Amino acid sequence: MAHDHGHTAVKLQYQPALPIGRGKLCLWLFLSTEIMFFAGLIGTYIVLRFGAPPGTWPAPHDVHLQEYVGAFNTFVLICSSVTIVLALEASKQNQAGLSKFWMVLTFLLGSVFLGVKGYEYNEKFKHGIYPAKPHSRIYEKPDLYYVQGVKLSLAKRRDSLAAHQGKLQQDGKSLPEEKANDLVVLNNLLTNLVQWTELKAAREEDTLARKLAMDKMAKAIYPHWHQGKEGDEAKELYEASLVDEERQISRDLAALTTDLQKAQADKQARQAEVEALEKQSKPPEKTTDASPANLSALQVAAIQNQPASEGSSPASATERKTKVLAEMGRLDERIAALDAEQKRMNGRLELLKELKDEHVTKDGLAHKYEHLRLPMVIPSGNMWASTYFLLTGFHAIHVLVGLIAFVLVLMYKLDHTKSHILENTGLYWHFVDLVWIFLFPLLYLF
Amino acid sequence: MAEHHPFDPRSPGHGYEAEATDQEHGHAGVGKYVVVFIALCVLTAISFAVGNSQTLRHNSPGAMWAMMMAVSCAKAMLVILFFMHMLWEANWKYVLTIPASMMSIFLLLMLIPDVGRRTDRYAEERWLYAAEPKAEKPPGEHGPAPAHDHDDAKHAGGQPKH
Repeated sequence: MAHDHGHTAVKLQYQPALPIGRGKLCLWLFLSTEIMFFAGLIGTYIVLRFGAPPGTWPAPHDVHLQEYVGAFNTFVLICSSVTIVLALEASKQNQAGLSKFWMVLTFLLGSVFLGVKGYEYNEKFKHGIYPAKPHSRIYEKPDLYYVQGVKLSLAKRRDSLAAHQGKLQQDGKSLPEEKANDLVVLNNLLTNLVQWTELKAAREEDTLARKLAMDKMAKAIYPHWHQGKEGDEAKELYEASLVDEERQISRDLAALTTDLQKAQADKQARQAEVEALEKQSKPPEKTTDASPANLSALQVAAIQNQPASEGSSPASATERKTKVLAEMGRLDERIAALDAEQKRMNGRLELLKELKDEHVTKDGLAHKYEHLRLPMVIPSGNMWASTYFLLTGFHAIHVLVGLIAFVLVLMYKLDHTKSHILENTGLYWHFVDLVWIFLFPLLYLF
Repeated sequence: MAEHHPFDPRSPGHGYEAEATDQEHGHAGVGKYVVVFIALCVLTAISFAVGNSQTLRHNSPGAMWAMMMAVSCAKAMLVILFFMHMLWEANWKYVLTIPASMMSIFLLLMLIPDVGRRTDRYAEERWLYAAEPKAEKPPGEHGPAPAHDHDDAKHAGGQPKH
């Protein structure tokens, strides 16, 4: 470097640091910490994702992730990387206006990226996918906690709607049709889906049957069939189980109906008996009250003989009547129980019909009744949500910081004296792009 | 250029002028960036196609992941070399990037035994309350397995299902 500028007498060739501008050096040091930061995050994600037991990590479609949206965002970031490089080139050639144009374009592209990210986040939130519990509707396993969770969520809605309805009725008004429909749906789901499953899970002796009942409920609400052969098979199996259950219930229902008819016939018989007994115990009173004189001697003899021949004096007839009435009461109870059971089965059959609907088997009740915000089972879903929001969230914060930097840069006249600022901003922005290059396949395509 | 402030990044010895001369014969023009841009787009399309290929996902997910990571690394290299000008920088670039890369790789290697293989030694009772269903293991792999080496660990983590 002896040919350095000649106007100073003493030349000190002192190189205190790396041969780059201080700003650039600081930025590179910062970027090297950023490399470690994102390596930690991405590494944790990879390890958690592949450390999760096989088959449990949600596929992109299970969690409403659309690959093409991610691909679009990748494209946007690549474009912005090019525009900021072009801004730097223009600035180096002292074309401040052109440089500003490219910077504005970069800023816009960064904003588009954030906008798309916001849309994607909103899609998740709409479907109850949040990183933490109070809002998250993700359950990891179809177990009793899940059933209770669904019950609680539905009952809350039902109760508030019912209270609302009560209030309106006091004023002589009624619920708007939409809400009234909701109330019907809520009651239907509570009895025929949740309660049915609850009883199955409590009553079935076979542990497997209990598990299957809860599994069926989870699939009815949020099936998330995987693409490909495996998913198709699982779906067919589920559909077959619905048909099976329908057949089983129809059979049980037929048996129950015979039981019910028998009980009703029994009751009628008892009723007739009671009536007969009433006649038996009453006529004497009547006759004695009305005109005892009219009774022929023969009739009196017959009445008097009855206890001896048939053992039913008015007193024992009353006894018999109470007994029959008690039996009738028991029969009434049984009929009521059978009736309720019949209603329950019919309700379930109705629901099964709904579940067998093509759209419901495909997308589930959670999709059909989106506004009811049903809790859903996504294995490893909470871990997925945590890592997804952490990774994309930190990346989005970096994008935001980049946008702020762009605004600050845009305040200058971007001629060649400012090109080092542009260079540093560009380095940062490229790093943000770099992170996304890895995040996109890892989150959307793996 | 009358006086040079020592803190001025454009002062001599701080690489600015070296870069300026670079520009003349090193990486002139917009054409190079356009080529890199097209390459990045093509590579993105490739990883998108690979990721959406159901046959690949079913038959050899490992190959699919490896391809996507290779594509990502290629894209990252393009961005680093051309957009971040690393191709034309002096040797100082190694001082900053190599230690950082080494430390991040160490970090990953540490995570694998700690987090990635966390379910390997779960007791049966632990599985009952685990959020994840128990993976079907080939018979004979139950119980506390003898410590595997790292390569093995990495493999078990990335083992495809089915």
